Amino acid sequence: MRIPRPVLARVFWRCLFLQAAWNRRGMQNLGFAYAIDPALRALYADPARRAEALARHMRFFNCHPYMAAAILGGAIHHEERVAEGEEPGSGPLQYKQTLQGPLAAVGDGFFWTALRPFFGVLGVAGALLVGWPAVVAVLLAYNAVHFALRIRLFRAGYERGDGVVGEVARLELPVVAGRLRAAGALLAGVAGALLLVPAAGVGGPAAVLTAVAVTGVGYLLLSRGVHLFPAAYAAALAGAGAALLAARLHWSP
Amino acid sequence: MSYLAIGLLAGLAAVERKGFLQAMISRPIAIAPLAGWALGDVQGGILVGAPLELFWLGAVNLGAALPVHETLGAVAAAAGAVVAGQALGTGVTPAVAVLAVLACAPFALLGRRADVLSERLNEQLAVHAEAALARGNPSAAVRSNLYGLALPFLFAAALAPLGAALAGFLVPAFLVRVPSASGPLHGAWVGFVALAAAAAARALRARRAAPLFFGAFAVTALVGVLVGRLR
Repeated sequence: MRIPRPVLARVFWRCLFLQAAWNRRGMQNLGFAYAIDPALRALYADPARRAEALARHMRFFNCHPYMAAAILGGAIHHEERVAEGEEPGSGPLQYKQTLQGPLAAVGDGFFWTALRPFFGVLGVAGALLVGWPAVVAVLLAYNAVHFALRIRLFRAGYERGDGVVGEVARLELPVVAGRLRAAGALLAGVAGALLLVPAAGVGGPAAVLTAVAVTGVGYLLLSRGVHLFPAAYAAALAGAGAALLAARLHWSP
Repeated sequence: MSYLAIGLLAGLAAVERKGFLQAMISRPIAIAPLAGWALGDVQGGILVGAPLELFWLGAVNLGAALPVHETLGAVAAAAGAVVAGQALGTGVTPAVAVLAVLACAPFALLGRRADVLSERLNEQLAVHAEAALARGNPSAAVRSNLYGLALPFLFAAALAPLGAALAGFLVPAFLVRVPSASGPLHGAWVGFVALAAAAAARALRARRAAPLFFGAFAVTALVGVLVGRLR
């Protein structure tokens, strides 16, 4: 039996709640069971078989929330086979256990440490140059990419089952991530300067020196593992101290 | 009324941040202008949200590791800055912004503690769901998932207005009593923003991050200065 499209759409909608009850015991287990439940209802008319299927999806599960869409689609693919008697009930579970780790690593590396930070700094640069419409545009662009990939992965998982691995490989996400990180570093420089030039311009030479010194020393210290919060208070203190000293020396504008 | 709006906004954003959707709306660059808009000063929200986005660019939820609650910190700081700016009649200036940010940043740490507590309590939801399934009530079992959205909402809805009220009271009180602090606070703002930019470059973990970041920084600063002079 094939799952009707409206049911698949409902499963996809529910997968947006994957981390609603994230917990250290089963991590995304409740979210996964919640998402796949409409498909199980469609597949298993017998309440006992539905409960049995649901029980296997309430076991430990953790993946990147976007990439989990691929596993969710694939798990439904396997559940269809279980319902038809073509594979044992352990099939969907093995599929999930095999893929959750590798896809989590790919998703974290692409979405959380490359794509979203890239759009974050793009949003900062845009907001400073254009204002709030740039923030709206960046959110729309990010979500166009995010949802296109999430839907594509869900469909690929459902239609191809184990073949979703090939589909993920074809996307070359680690290669794209490297380019996005490089572009993001460049944009961070642009955004930092856009923020600092007007502020340092008002503050005079002391502010310019503070901006240059804190950016350079801050980068170095953060690279060596200095914690962000104390560094922030120290940077603000250093800036205030430099301004006070400049005023004392009649060096302010 | 405005604190109610801030609480609602922070609560919804906290839900969006992890439990539902994750569409970047809870990031500082989006949520701080929204908080500013809710209080009638979008530009003030941008002034606070832009450096906070850079500062917390590396705040991501990798595996089971919990980052600071950048959404809570950003809403509290932006709302606090706007309220303080309105009380002073100056709007959000760098002096107001840096005081609000430094006063509200610890709320991001407090938010992380609240997240840890939520995760612990969610374990009870998992136990409840397993029990419901064992009782033959699968619908109740899957519904348990949605109850997990309540605590992040409530924590953020309570803490963000508290942070905003704290900054909204302390910042004007300080600046009215010590008006000469504006100059040093401007310097403090420059220091904080410079560190935020450096933190963003570090968070991106690009192979050639340093030359790309500092090169773009220098070129943009030079162009900015030239354009400023031409004007």
